[in-house]
Amino acid sequence: MTPNAMTPHPAGFEPVFCTIVPPHILDTLARHGDPALAGPARRTLERDAFERTHRRLTTVIGAPSVAPPGEAAPGKPHRTIYDAGHGTELPGRKVRGEGDEPGNDATVNRAYAGLGATFELFLSAYARDSIDGGGLPLIATVHYDEDYGNAFWNGEQMVFGDGDGEIFLDFTIPVDVIGHELTHGVTQYTANLTYFGQPGALNEHFSDVFGSLIKQYTLGQTADDADWLIGAGLLAPRVTGKALRSMKEPGTAYDDDVLGKDPQPATMDGYVRTGRDNGGVHINSGIPNHAFYLVADALGGNAWERAGQIWYDVLTGGELDSQAQFTDFARLTVAAAVSRYGEGEERQAVLKAWERVGVAAAVATTA
Amino acid sequence: MRIHVTRTGGFAGIERHAEVDVSGRVDAAEWRSLAERALAAGRGTPPAGVPDGFSYEIRVGDRTVHCADPHLTEDQRELIRRVLKEGA
Repeated sequence: MTPNAMTPHPAGFEPVFCTIVPPHILDTLARHGDPALAGPARRTLERDAFERTHRRLTTVIGAPSVAPPGEAAPGKPHRTIYDAGHGTELPGRKVRGEGDEPGNDATVNRAYAGLGATFELFLSAYARDSIDGGGLPLIATVHYDEDYGNAFWNGEQMVFGDGDGEIFLDFTIPVDVIGHELTHGVTQYTANLTYFGQPGALNEHFSDVFGSLIKQYTLGQTADDADWLIGAGLLAPRVTGKALRSMKEPGTAYDDDVLGKDPQPATMDGYVRTGRDNGGVHINSGIPNHAFYLVADALGGNAWERAGQIWYDVLTGGELDSQAQFTDFARLTVAAAVSRYGEGEERQAVLKAWERVGVAAAVATTA
Repeated sequence: MRIHVTRTGGFAGIERHAEVDVSGRVDAAEWRSLAERALAAGRGTPPAGVPDGFSYEIRVGDRTVHCADPHLTEDQRELIRRVLKEGA
């Protein structure tokens, strides 16, 4: 460890050097007296360590090394990571294929591991073979553009920027961000929710739900253990905030003089009508996000089991319309809870959660 | 001549706005030419973006166009980059 390595990044710092926070800087930050600096660094280190172990276990237990890259076997991921080299041509130069050994680029390795973690949750929890259910190859491009503070799904693949180092760090750092992007693919192949207004907020919601569940599954956390944050570890140390969104307490993830305050409502009382952000898809998703958290919290245990199963059943069940509104979705979750678990605590938990966030879920009994 | 860029959407859903007044600058002609090319390739209404992609509004004087990631022209990308970096 070199304590004097904690040099602040000046503006205009060469992107190629500020893309990844080196482990020694994280080590130093993790020991910092200020929890806002130490917390994210520690989480990043913990996650990195976990993923290294996880990847090794996957290599040992799972993927046989005899499988030649380029041939997809059922029930096995088929990952390819590309490097855009700070340009915008997609997909870029191939840097790691399925079964290849990790290289020196931590961003590439995180993307590869995150794709694997996402594949694994969908396969083991819901018996879904990749994002299309038919073993679709998983493709990600890293180092997109210069100082690019975003990640997106372009309809065919994931794209990750390195962040600007001032506000956002590397978008491959939080595994829930990787899971979020891949889940946009799952939604595209299933309910195909229109990316605008309430169906768009539901599209975002599914990505946050399964993004968070991928993190929880990877870390072996119960609903009670989980932080329910989206993008923890993504904000640069100087930003006042712990993540980009909170499913447990929407509206509390950050409050910063540059970023402003987390605008997410937790209930319909705070529903935001706007034309921006595709009609507020990243804002109003706070409402169903909070409902999912309430269901998972009420049921306890592993959130990907009952709560996640109900949500997965609705996403893939064929009844969720591409133009679905919150109330349509809420009713379908109640029906899915009953059809899978009967008239028990699951149905009660779902009904109660929607009631708490102000979305009508019960079928109207009056004419 | 003022050039405004508003960026919305993105994974974080955080809006950014910046503007640059290029009047009187030594590189005003270069800015003007870049802005013209960016405007020419823009659309009058916001295009459907991709999930988590940024959407942009470029306004130069009384002309406004829209574009969205990842389908930007190189000129649009360059103009947006410069305004968001240099603008206030």
